[in-house]
Amino acid sequence: MRRYLVLMSAFFMLFLAGLSGIASAHESQPGLLEVRQLNTNRYEVIWRAPIYYGKPHPATLQLPEEWQIVGEPTARQLSDSALHRRVVEVPGGSINGSIIRLPGLEATITDVFVRISRLDGSETSQVVRPTLPFVELRGERPWYESSREYLLLGLHHILMGIDHLLFVLGLLIIVSGRSMLIKTITAFTVAHSITLAIATLGYATVPGPPLNAAIALSILFLGPEIVRVWRGQTSFTIRHPWVVAFGFGLLHGFGFASGLSTVGMPTSEIPLALLMFNIGVELGQLVFVVLILQLYRSLKVLEFRWPHWMEFAPGYTIGSLGAYWTIQRTLMMFAIN
Amino acid sequence: MKMIHASILPTLALLVLSPQAALAHLVTSGLGPFYDGALHLAISPDDLLGLVAVTLLAGLCGARAGRLTVFSLSLSWFIAGLVGLNLPVTIDLPWLSILSFLVLGVLVAINPKMHPKVVASLAGLFGLIHGLFNGSALAAIGAGPLALTGIVVTVLVIALLISAFVVSLHAAWTRIAVRVAGSWVAAVGMLMFGWLVRGTG
Repeated sequence: MRRYLVLMSAFFMLFLAGLSGIASAHESQPGLLEVRQLNTNRYEVIWRAPIYYGKPHPATLQLPEEWQIVGEPTARQLSDSALHRRVVEVPGGSINGSIIRLPGLEATITDVFVRISRLDGSETSQVVRPTLPFVELRGERPWYESSREYLLLGLHHILMGIDHLLFVLGLLIIVSGRSMLIKTITAFTVAHSITLAIATLGYATVPGPPLNAAIALSILFLGPEIVRVWRGQTSFTIRHPWVVAFGFGLLHGFGFASGLSTVGMPTSEIPLALLMFNIGVELGQLVFVVLILQLYRSLKVLEFRWPHWMEFAPGYTIGSLGAYWTIQRTLMMFAIN
Repeated sequence: MKMIHASILPTLALLVLSPQAALAHLVTSGLGPFYDGALHLAISPDDLLGLVAVTLLAGLCGARAGRLTVFSLSLSWFIAGLVGLNLPVTIDLPWLSILSFLVLGVLVAINPKMHPKVVASLAGLFGLIHGLFNGSALAAIGAGPLALTGIVVTVLVIALLISAFVVSLHAAWTRIAVRVAGSWVAAVGMLMFGWLVRGTG
Protein backbone atom coordinates (compact mmCIF):
# COMPACT_ATOMS: atom_id res chain seq x y z
CA MET A 1 0.00 0.00 0.00
CA ARG A 2 2.72 2.40 1.11
CA ARG A 3 4.76 2.05 -2.02
CA TYR A 4 2.20 3.12 -4.53
CA LEU A 5 0.87 5.87 -2.39
CA VAL A 6 4.29 7.45 -2.22
CA LEU A 7 4.39 7.03 -5.97
CA MET A 8 2.10 10.00 -6.45
CA SER A 9 4.47 12.14 -4.42
CA ALA A 10 7.27 11.05 -6.68
CA PHE A 11 5.31 11.99 -9.77
CA PHE A 12 4.38 15.29 -8.29
CA MET A 13 8.02 16.01 -7.58
CA LEU A 14 9.17 14.89 -10.99
CA PHE A 15 6.46 16.93 -12.64
CA LEU A 16 7.61 19.93 -10.67
CA ALA A 17 11.24 19.22 -11.35
CA GLY A 18 10.82 18.58 -15.03
CA LEU A 19 9.21 21.94 -15.49
CA SER A 20 11.61 23.88 -13.34
CA GLY A 21 14.64 23.79 -15.55
CA ILE A 22 15.82 20.70 -13.76
CA ALA A 23 18.37 19.88 -16.38
CA SER A 24 20.34 22.85 -15.19
CA ALA A 25 20.00 22.18 -11.49
CA HIS A 26 22.51 24.13 -9.46
CA GLU A 27 23.01 26.85 -11.99
CA SER A 28 21.85 29.45 -9.49
CA GLN A 29 25.27 30.48 -8.24
CA PRO A 30 25.25 33.72 -6.25
CA GLY A 31 26.74 36.96 -7.57
CA LEU A 32 29.22 39.06 -5.65
CA LEU A 33 29.45 42.83 -5.42
CA GLU A 34 32.46 44.23 -3.60
CA VAL A 35 32.86 47.87 -2.67
CA ARG A 36 36.32 48.59 -1.32
CA GLN A 37 37.45 52.01 -0.08
CA LEU A 38 40.81 52.99 -1.60
CA ASN A 39 41.17 56.47 -0.09
CA THR A 40 38.91 59.13 1.44
CA ASN A 41 36.74 59.65 -1.67
CA ARG A 42 37.69 56.76 -3.90
CA TYR A 43 36.21 53.28 -4.01
CA GLU A 44 36.81 50.21 -6.10
CA VAL A 45 33.62 48.46 -7.23
CA ILE A 46 33.89 44.85 -8.38
CA TRP A 47 30.84 43.08 -9.80
CA ARG A 48 31.24 39.36 -10.26
CA ALA A 49 28.27 38.27 -12.37
CA PRO A 50 27.83 34.50 -12.45
CA ILE A 51 27.23 32.69 -15.72
CA TYR A 52 23.47 32.23 -15.85
CA TYR A 53 22.35 29.01 -17.52
CA GLY A 54 25.35 29.10 -19.79
CA LYS A 55 24.86 32.74 -20.81
CA PRO A 56 26.04 36.14 -19.55
CA HIS A 57 24.03 37.20 -16.52
CA PRO A 58 21.10 39.50 -17.42
CA ALA A 59 21.60 41.76 -14.40
CA THR A 60 23.64 44.91 -14.87
CA LEU A 61 25.19 47.25 -12.34
CA GLN A 62 23.73 50.74 -11.96
CA LEU A 63 25.75 52.93 -9.63
CA PRO A 64 24.40 56.12 -7.98
CA GLU A 65 24.42 59.07 -10.40
CA GLU A 66 26.61 61.21 -8.17
CA TRP A 67 29.41 58.65 -8.24
CA GLN A 68 31.95 59.55 -10.92
CA ILE A 69 33.78 56.80 -12.69
CA VAL A 70 37.54 57.28 -12.70
CA GLY A 71 39.50 55.70 -15.54
CA GLU A 72 38.31 52.95 -17.79
CA PRO A 73 36.14 50.18 -16.36
CA THR A 74 37.54 46.72 -17.04
CA ALA A 75 35.79 43.43 -17.71
CA ARG A 76 37.28 39.97 -17.55
CA GLN A 77 35.71 36.65 -18.44
CA LEU A 78 36.35 33.83 -15.98
CA SER A 79 35.26 30.20 -16.31
CA ASP A 80 32.22 30.65 -14.05
CA SER A 81 31.60 34.39 -14.06
CA ALA A 82 32.28 37.77 -15.63
CA LEU A 83 34.29 40.20 -13.54
CA HIS A 84 33.54 43.92 -13.97
CA ARG A 85 35.81 46.37 -12.17
CA ARG A 86 35.64 50.12 -11.91
CA VAL A 87 36.97 52.83 -9.62
CA VAL A 88 34.64 55.63 -8.56
CA GLU A 89 34.98 59.00 -6.89
CA VAL A 90 32.27 59.58 -4.27
CA PRO A 91 31.52 63.23 -3.45
CA GLY A 92 31.80 63.72 0.31
CA GLY A 93 33.45 60.32 0.69
CA SER A 94 30.57 58.57 2.42
CA ILE A 95 28.74 55.78 0.66
CA ASN A 96 26.24 55.22 3.48
CA GLY A 97 22.71 55.60 2.18
CA SER A 98 23.79 55.29 -1.46
CA ILE A 99 21.73 52.91 -3.54
CA ILE A 100 23.22 50.53 -6.07
CA ARG A 101 20.70 48.98 -8.42
CA LEU A 102 20.92 45.71 -10.30
CA PRO A 103 18.33 45.99 -13.10
CA GLY A 104 17.61 42.61 -14.64
CA LEU A 105 18.16 40.74 -11.37
CA GLU A 106 14.41 40.58 -10.75
CA ALA A 107 13.98 38.28 -13.71
CA THR A 108 16.46 35.77 -12.32
CA ILE A 109 16.88 33.50 -9.31
CA THR A 110 20.29 34.90 -8.39
CA ASP A 111 21.16 36.23 -4.94
CA VAL A 112 23.96 38.75 -4.73
CA PHE A 113 26.33 39.12 -1.81
CA VAL A 114 27.45 42.67 -1.18
CA ARG A 115 30.71 43.17 0.70
CA ILE A 116 31.87 46.60 1.84
CA SER A 117 35.37 47.22 3.20
CA ARG A 118 36.35 50.60 4.54
CA LEU A 119 39.70 52.23 5.31
CA ASP A 120 39.03 52.06 9.05
CA GLY A 121 39.13 48.27 8.74
CA SER A 122 35.41 47.78 9.17
CA GLU A 123 33.74 45.24 6.93
CA THR A 124 30.04 44.66 6.39
CA SER A 125 28.03 42.41 4.17
CA GLN A 126 24.49 42.37 2.81
CA VAL A 127 22.46 40.13 0.55
CA VAL A 128 20.41 41.36 -2.41
CA ARG A 129 17.56 39.11 -3.51
CA PRO A 130 15.77 39.24 -6.87
CA THR A 131 12.58 40.40 -5.17
CA LEU A 132 14.26 43.74 -4.33
CA PRO A 133 17.00 44.20 -6.90
CA PHE A 134 18.90 47.01 -5.19
CA VAL A 135 21.04 47.58 -2.14
CA GLU A 136 21.21 50.55 0.16
CA LEU A 137 24.75 50.67 1.46
CA ARG A 138 24.91 50.83 5.21
CA GLY A 139 27.39 50.55 8.02
CA GLU A 140 27.06 48.12 10.88
CA ARG A 141 23.75 46.29 11.02
CA PRO A 142 22.01 44.51 13.87
CA TRP A 143 22.76 40.77 13.94
CA TYR A 144 19.13 39.81 13.40
CA GLU A 145 19.01 41.53 10.03
CA SER A 146 21.99 39.55 8.78
CA SER A 147 20.52 36.39 10.35
CA ARG A 148 17.28 36.82 8.46
CA GLU A 149 19.12 37.33 5.18
CA TYR A 150 21.22 34.19 5.58
CA LEU A 151 18.25 32.13 6.72
CA LEU A 152 16.29 33.13 3.62
CA LEU A 153 19.32 32.37 1.53
CA GLY A 154 19.48 28.82 2.90
CA LEU A 155 15.77 28.35 2.35
CA HIS A 156 16.09 29.70 -1.17
CA HIS A 157 19.00 27.38 -1.91
CA ILE A 158 17.21 24.20 -0.89
CA LEU A 159 13.99 25.16 -2.69
CA MET A 160 15.94 25.66 -5.89
CA GLY A 161 18.12 22.60 -5.31
CA ILE A 162 15.89 20.16 -7.13
CA ASP A 163 18.61 17.50 -7.10
CA HIS A 164 18.86 17.61 -3.29
CA LEU A 165 15.08 17.39 -2.96
CA LEU A 166 14.92 14.50 -5.40
CA PHE A 167 17.54 12.65 -3.37
CA VAL A 168 15.51 13.20 -0.18
CA LEU A 169 12.38 12.00 -1.99
CA GLY A 170 14.21 8.84 -3.06
CA LEU A 171 15.20 8.22 0.55
CA LEU A 172 11.59 8.71 1.69
CA ILE A 173 10.43 6.05 -0.78
CA ILE A 174 13.07 3.54 0.31
CA VAL A 175 12.68 4.00 4.05
CA SER A 176 9.98 2.12 5.91
CA GLY A 177 8.96 2.89 9.46
CA ARG A 178 8.95 6.11 11.42
CA SER A 179 12.12 5.48 13.44
CA MET A 180 14.13 4.58 10.34
CA LEU A 181 12.79 7.68 8.61
CA ILE A 182 13.93 9.90 11.48
CA LYS A 183 17.30 8.13 11.59
CA THR A 184 17.84 8.49 7.83
CA ILE A 185 16.85 12.13 7.59
CA THR A 186 18.95 12.94 10.67
CA ALA A 187 21.95 11.15 9.13
CA PHE A 188 21.55 13.15 5.92
CA THR A 189 21.21 16.39 7.88
CA VAL A 190 24.23 15.74 10.11
CA ALA A 191 26.37 14.71 7.13
CA HIS A 192 25.59 17.70 4.95
CA SER A 193 25.98 20.05 7.92
CA ILE A 194 29.50 18.72 8.51
CA THR A 195 30.68 19.25 4.96
CA LEU A 196 28.84 22.55 4.62
CA ALA A 197 30.78 23.80 7.66
CA ILE A 198 34.07 22.37 6.40
CA ALA A 199 33.65 24.02 3.00
CA THR A 200 32.37 27.34 4.34
CA LEU A 201 35.16 27.64 6.88
CA GLY A 202 37.63 26.98 4.10
CA TYR A 203 39.12 23.70 5.37
CA ALA A 204 38.29 21.85 2.17
CA THR A 205 36.88 22.58 -1.23
CA VAL A 206 35.57 20.38 -4.01
CA PRO A 207 35.54 21.73 -7.56
CA GLY A 208 32.01 22.31 -8.84
CA PRO A 209 31.87 20.13 -11.98
CA PRO A 210 32.95 16.78 -10.40
CA LEU A 211 30.89 17.57 -7.31
CA ASN A 212 27.74 18.12 -9.36
CA ALA A 213 28.39 14.92 -11.31
CA ALA A 214 28.79 13.00 -8.03
CA ILE A 215 25.56 14.48 -6.64
CA ALA A 216 23.78 13.34 -9.82
CA LEU A 217 25.31 9.90 -9.29
CA SER A 218 23.78 9.75 -5.81
CA ILE A 219 20.33 10.18 -7.38
CA LEU A 220 21.07 7.57 -10.04
CA PHE A 221 22.11 5.24 -7.23
CA LEU A 222 18.67 5.46 -5.60
CA GLY A 223 16.70 4.52 -8.75
CA PRO A 224 17.54 0.77 -8.73
CA GLU A 225 17.13 0.66 -4.95
CA ILE A 226 13.55 1.95 -5.26
CA VAL A 227 12.80 -0.70 -7.88
CA ARG A 228 14.29 -3.35 -5.53
CA VAL A 229 11.98 -2.19 -2.74
CA TRP A 230 8.95 -2.69 -4.97
CA ARG A 231 10.12 -6.08 -6.11
CA GLY A 232 10.32 -7.11 -2.49
CA GLN A 233 14.08 -7.61 -2.70
CA THR A 234 16.57 -6.31 -0.19
CA SER A 235 20.01 -4.72 -0.21
CA PHE A 236 22.41 -2.96 2.12
CA THR A 237 20.79 0.40 1.21
CA ILE A 238 17.30 -0.89 1.95
CA ARG A 239 18.38 -2.40 5.27
CA HIS A 240 20.52 0.57 6.33
CA PRO A 241 19.33 3.63 4.38
CA TRP A 242 20.80 5.97 6.99
CA VAL A 243 24.35 4.84 6.07
CA VAL A 244 23.76 5.77 2.44
CA ALA A 245 22.06 8.99 3.50
CA PHE A 246 25.09 9.88 5.60
CA GLY A 247 27.59 8.99 2.89
CA PHE A 248 25.87 10.92 0.13
CA GLY A 249 24.91 13.65 2.59
CA LEU A 250 28.59 14.50 2.86
CA LEU A 251 28.62 15.18 -0.88
CA HIS A 252 25.42 17.19 -0.83
CA GLY A 253 26.87 19.41 1.93
CA PHE A 254 29.61 20.54 -0.43
CA GLY A 255 26.86 21.33 -2.93
CA PHE A 256 25.01 23.47 -0.38
CA ALA A 257 28.22 25.38 0.26
CA SER A 258 28.12 26.67 -3.32
CA GLY A 259 25.16 28.80 -2.29
CA LEU A 260 27.03 30.56 0.48
CA SER A 261 29.93 32.63 -0.72
CA THR A 262 32.16 33.72 2.13
CA VAL A 263 34.69 35.42 -0.12
CA GLY A 264 35.52 38.73 1.50
CA MET A 265 33.00 38.14 4.30
CA PRO A 266 33.99 39.63 7.65
CA THR A 267 35.53 36.77 9.66
CA SER A 268 33.31 37.53 12.64
CA GLU A 269 30.21 37.07 10.48
CA ILE A 270 31.08 33.65 9.05
CA PRO A 271 29.78 31.55 12.00
CA LEU A 272 26.46 33.42 12.01
CA ALA A 273 26.15 33.13 8.23
CA LEU A 274 26.94 29.42 8.37
CA LEU A 275 24.51 28.74 11.20
CA MET A 276 21.60 30.67 9.72
CA PHE A 277 22.19 29.39 6.18
CA ASN A 278 22.17 25.84 7.50
CA ILE A 279 19.02 26.47 9.53
CA GLY A 280 17.39 27.81 6.35
CA VAL A 281 18.40 24.67 4.45
CA GLU A 282 17.11 22.41 7.24
CA LEU A 283 13.84 24.32 7.45
CA GLY A 284 13.32 23.95 3.70
CA GLN A 285 14.14 20.26 3.89
CA LEU A 286 11.79 19.77 6.82
CA VAL A 287 8.96 21.54 5.02
CA PHE A 288 9.55 19.32 2.00
CA VAL A 289 9.57 16.10 4.04
CA VAL A 290 6.43 17.10 5.95
CA LEU A 291 4.69 18.06 2.70
CA ILE A 292 5.51 14.72 1.07
CA LEU A 293 4.37 12.80 4.16
CA GLN A 294 1.15 14.80 4.27
CA LEU A 295 0.51 14.17 0.58
CA TYR A 296 1.14 10.48 1.21
CA ARG A 297 -1.39 10.52 4.03
CA SER A 298 -3.90 12.44 1.89
CA LEU A 299 -3.66 9.92 -0.95
CA LYS A 300 -4.27 7.16 1.55
CA VAL A 301 -7.31 8.90 3.06
CA LEU A 302 -8.80 9.58 -0.38
CA GLU A 303 -8.22 5.91 -1.30
CA PHE A 304 -6.38 6.49 -4.56
CA ARG A 305 -5.65 3.36 -6.59
CA TRP A 306 -3.05 3.14 -9.35
CA PRO A 307 -2.37 0.69 -12.15
CA HIS A 308 0.35 -1.83 -11.29
CA TRP A 309 2.80 -0.60 -13.92
CA MET A 310 2.85 2.85 -12.38
CA GLU A 311 4.44 1.48 -9.23
CA PHE A 312 7.74 1.11 -11.04
CA ALA A 313 7.67 4.51 -12.67
CA PRO A 314 9.25 6.59 -9.85
CA GLY A 315 12.24 4.27 -9.53
CA TYR A 316 12.84 4.33 -13.26
CA THR A 317 12.21 8.06 -13.52
CA ILE A 318 14.51 8.96 -10.63
CA GLY A 319 17.14 6.59 -12.04
CA SER A 320 16.77 8.02 -15.56
CA LEU A 321 17.02 11.60 -14.33
CA GLY A 322 20.05 10.69 -12.23
CA ALA A 323 21.64 9.02 -15.26
CA TYR A 324 20.86 12.00 -17.49
CA TRP A 325 22.41 14.44 -15.06
CA THR A 326 25.41 12.21 -14.44
CA ILE A 327 26.17 11.99 -18.15
CA GLN A 328 25.43 15.68 -18.74
CA ARG A 329 27.58 16.86 -15.86
CA THR A 330 30.39 14.45 -16.67
CA LEU A 331 30.46 15.78 -20.21
CA MET A 332 30.45 19.33 -18.84
CA MET A 333 33.32 18.40 -16.54
CA PHE A 334 35.40 17.51 -19.58
CA ALA A 335 33.94 20.51 -21.44
CA ILE A 336 32.34 18.35 -24.12
CA ASN A 337 29.25 20.14 -25.39
CA MET B 1 -40.49 42.56 -8.30
CA LYS B 2 -40.29 44.66 -11.42
CA MET B 3 -38.54 47.37 -9.42
CA ILE B 4 -35.95 44.91 -8.22
CA HIS B 5 -35.34 43.78 -11.76
CA ALA B 6 -35.11 47.36 -12.87
CA SER B 7 -32.32 48.07 -10.43
CA ILE B 8 -30.41 44.78 -10.62
CA LEU B 9 -30.32 44.26 -14.35
CA PRO B 10 -28.49 47.48 -15.27
CA THR B 11 -26.01 46.81 -12.50
CA LEU B 12 -25.38 43.29 -13.73
CA ALA B 13 -25.13 44.53 -17.28
CA LEU B 14 -22.59 47.09 -16.17
CA LEU B 15 -20.58 44.44 -14.40
CA VAL B 16 -20.58 42.19 -17.44
CA LEU B 17 -20.01 44.80 -20.09
CA SER B 18 -17.38 46.92 -18.42
CA PRO B 19 -14.94 44.62 -16.73
CA GLN B 20 -12.25 46.45 -14.85
CA ALA B 21 -8.86 46.65 -16.45
CA ALA B 22 -6.90 43.62 -15.49
CA LEU B 23 -4.53 44.57 -12.74
CA ALA B 24 -2.40 41.61 -13.59
CA HIS B 25 0.75 41.41 -11.59
CA LEU B 26 2.80 38.35 -10.82
CA VAL B 27 4.50 38.57 -7.47
CA THR B 28 8.22 37.90 -7.67
CA SER B 29 9.30 35.19 -5.28
CA GLY B 30 12.94 35.40 -6.31
CA LEU B 31 12.78 31.68 -7.02
CA GLY B 32 11.79 31.75 -10.67
CA PRO B 33 8.46 31.63 -12.52
CA PHE B 34 7.30 28.29 -11.08
CA TYR B 35 7.38 29.57 -7.52
CA ASP B 36 6.08 32.97 -8.69
CA GLY B 37 2.98 31.15 -9.92
CA ALA B 38 2.62 29.24 -6.66
CA LEU B 39 2.94 32.45 -4.68
CA HIS B 40 0.44 34.19 -6.95
CA LEU B 41 -2.21 31.65 -6.02
CA ALA B 42 -1.38 31.85 -2.34
CA ILE B 43 -2.00 35.59 -2.27
CA SER B 44 -5.01 35.81 -4.62
CA PRO B 45 -8.02 35.79 -2.27
CA ASP B 46 -10.66 34.91 -4.86
CA ASP B 47 -8.64 31.99 -6.24
CA LEU B 48 -7.64 30.75 -2.82
CA LEU B 49 -11.01 31.13 -1.09
CA GLY B 50 -12.82 29.33 -3.90
CA LEU B 51 -10.22 26.59 -3.88
CA VAL B 52 -10.62 26.17 -0.12
CA ALA B 53 -14.42 26.16 -0.41
CA VAL B 54 -14.63 23.62 -3.21
CA THR B 55 -12.20 21.24 -1.50
CA LEU B 56 -14.03 21.61 1.82
CA LEU B 57 -17.21 20.71 -0.03
CA ALA B 58 -15.55 17.71 -1.66
CA GLY B 59 -14.23 16.56 1.72
CA LEU B 60 -17.70 16.81 3.25
CA CYS B 61 -19.08 14.66 0.43
CA GLY B 62 -16.60 11.83 1.03
CA ALA B 63 -13.43 10.22 -0.33
CA ARG B 64 -14.76 9.60 -3.84
CA ALA B 65 -15.83 13.23 -4.22
CA GLY B 66 -12.39 14.24 -2.96
CA ARG B 67 -10.61 12.04 -5.49
CA LEU B 68 -12.70 13.23 -8.41
CA THR B 69 -12.39 16.85 -7.34
CA VAL B 70 -8.59 16.71 -7.13
CA PHE B 71 -8.49 15.50 -10.73
CA SER B 72 -11.22 17.66 -12.24
CA LEU B 73 -10.10 20.83 -10.49
CA SER B 74 -6.42 20.67 -11.38
CA LEU B 75 -7.00 19.35 -14.88
CA SER B 76 -9.61 21.97 -15.78
CA TRP B 77 -7.48 24.72 -14.21
CA PHE B 78 -4.51 23.65 -16.31
CA ILE B 79 -6.40 23.28 -19.59
CA ALA B 80 -8.28 26.57 -19.17
CA GLY B 81 -5.01 28.22 -18.14
CA LEU B 82 -3.36 27.06 -21.35
CA VAL B 83 -6.30 28.41 -23.34
CA GLY B 84 -6.06 31.70 -21.42
CA LEU B 85 -2.35 31.93 -22.14
CA ASN B 86 -3.11 31.91 -25.84
CA LEU B 87 -5.96 34.38 -25.81
CA PRO B 88 -5.34 37.74 -27.47
CA VAL B 89 -7.31 39.59 -24.77
CA THR B 90 -7.23 39.63 -21.02
CA ILE B 91 -10.35 38.27 -19.38
CA ASP B 92 -11.07 39.82 -16.03
CA LEU B 93 -14.56 39.51 -14.62
CA PRO B 94 -14.15 40.12 -10.90
CA TRP B 95 -17.87 39.65 -10.22
CA LEU B 96 -17.76 36.15 -11.68
CA SER B 97 -14.64 35.35 -9.77
CA ILE B 98 -16.21 36.47 -6.49
CA LEU B 99 -19.57 34.92 -7.26
CA SER B 100 -17.95 31.55 -7.90
CA PHE B 101 -16.40 31.30 -4.44
CA LEU B 102 -19.42 32.90 -2.78
CA VAL B 103 -21.69 30.15 -4.15
CA LEU B 104 -19.22 27.46 -3.11
CA GLY B 105 -18.98 28.97 0.38
CA VAL B 106 -22.78 28.87 0.68
CA LEU B 107 -22.83 25.23 -0.46
CA VAL B 108 -20.25 24.30 2.19
CA ALA B 109 -22.29 26.11 4.84
CA ILE B 110 -25.58 24.39 3.98
CA ASN B 111 -23.85 21.07 3.24
CA PRO B 112 -26.45 19.58 0.87
CA LYS B 113 -26.26 15.93 -0.10
CA MET B 114 -24.49 15.96 -3.43
CA HIS B 115 -23.34 13.19 -5.73
CA PRO B 116 -19.52 13.04 -6.02
CA LYS B 117 -19.76 13.66 -9.76
CA VAL B 118 -21.76 16.84 -9.18
CA VAL B 119 -19.14 18.11 -6.74
CA ALA B 120 -16.39 17.24 -9.22
CA SER B 121 -18.30 19.06 -11.99
CA LEU B 122 -18.61 22.16 -9.83
CA ALA B 123 -14.90 21.94 -9.08
CA GLY B 124 -14.20 21.56 -12.78
CA LEU B 125 -16.30 24.61 -13.59
CA PHE B 126 -14.52 26.62 -10.91
CA GLY B 127 -11.17 25.43 -12.29
CA LEU B 128 -12.19 26.45 -15.82
CA ILE B 129 -13.19 29.96 -14.75
CA HIS B 130 -10.16 30.68 -12.60
CA GLY B 131 -7.74 28.87 -14.91
CA LEU B 132 -8.93 31.02 -17.80
CA PHE B 133 -8.55 34.21 -15.76
CA ASN B 134 -5.11 33.16 -14.53
CA GLY B 135 -3.93 32.14 -17.99
CA SER B 136 -5.03 35.37 -19.68
CA ALA B 137 -3.56 37.45 -16.83
CA LEU B 138 -0.26 35.58 -17.12
CA ALA B 139 -0.22 36.17 -20.88
CA ALA B 140 -0.79 39.89 -20.32
CA ILE B 141 2.36 40.18 -18.21
CA GLY B 142 4.43 37.92 -20.42
CA ALA B 143 4.59 35.00 -18.01
CA GLY B 144 4.59 31.57 -19.57
CA PRO B 145 3.40 28.02 -18.91
CA LEU B 146 5.91 27.58 -16.09
CA ALA B 147 4.09 30.10 -13.90
CA LEU B 148 0.80 28.39 -14.79
CA THR B 149 2.33 25.06 -13.80
CA GLY B 150 3.29 26.58 -10.46
CA ILE B 151 -0.31 27.62 -9.95
CA VAL B 152 -1.74 24.25 -10.96
CA VAL B 153 0.68 22.22 -8.82
CA THR B 154 -0.26 24.41 -5.85
CA VAL B 155 -3.94 23.84 -6.65
CA LEU B 156 -3.32 20.09 -6.76
CA VAL B 157 -1.44 20.06 -3.45
CA ILE B 158 -3.97 22.25 -1.62
CA ALA B 159 -6.90 20.27 -3.03
CA LEU B 160 -5.35 16.98 -1.92
CA LEU B 161 -4.47 18.20 1.56
CA ILE B 162 -7.75 19.95 2.35
CA SER B 163 -10.16 17.38 0.95
CA ALA B 164 -8.29 14.52 2.67
CA PHE B 165 -8.22 16.46 5.91
CA VAL B 166 -11.98 16.99 5.83
CA VAL B 167 -12.65 13.35 4.87
CA SER B 168 -10.63 12.26 7.90
CA LEU B 169 -12.82 14.31 10.27
CA HIS B 170 -15.36 12.14 12.06
CA ALA B 171 -16.52 14.03 15.14
CA ALA B 172 -19.78 15.88 14.50
CA TRP B 173 -18.46 19.19 15.79
CA THR B 174 -15.51 19.10 13.35
CA ARG B 175 -17.87 18.87 10.42
CA ILE B 176 -19.82 21.78 11.84
CA ALA B 177 -16.54 23.70 12.08
CA VAL B 178 -15.98 23.00 8.37
CA ARG B 179 -19.44 24.35 7.57
CA VAL B 180 -18.71 27.45 9.64
CA ALA B 181 -15.54 27.92 7.60
CA GLY B 182 -17.72 27.73 4.48
CA SER B 183 -20.00 30.42 5.84
CA TRP B 184 -16.97 32.66 6.39
CA VAL B 185 -15.95 32.15 2.78
CA ALA B 186 -19.47 33.11 1.74
CA ALA B 187 -19.40 36.15 4.02
CA VAL B 188 -16.11 37.34 2.52
CA GLY B 189 -17.62 36.82 -0.91
CA MET B 190 -20.67 38.92 -0.05
CA LEU B 191 -18.46 41.64 1.36
CA MET B 192 -16.25 41.70 -1.73
CA PHE B 193 -19.28 41.61 -3.99
CA GLY B 194 -20.74 44.57 -2.11
CA TRP B 195 -17.54 46.55 -2.52
CA LEU B 196 -17.43 45.67 -6.18
CA VAL B 197 -21.02 46.77 -6.83
CA ARG B 198 -20.53 49.94 -4.86
CA GLY B 199 -17.30 50.76 -6.65
CA THR B 200 -18.66 50.01 -10.10
CA GLY B 201 -22.25 51.04 -9.97
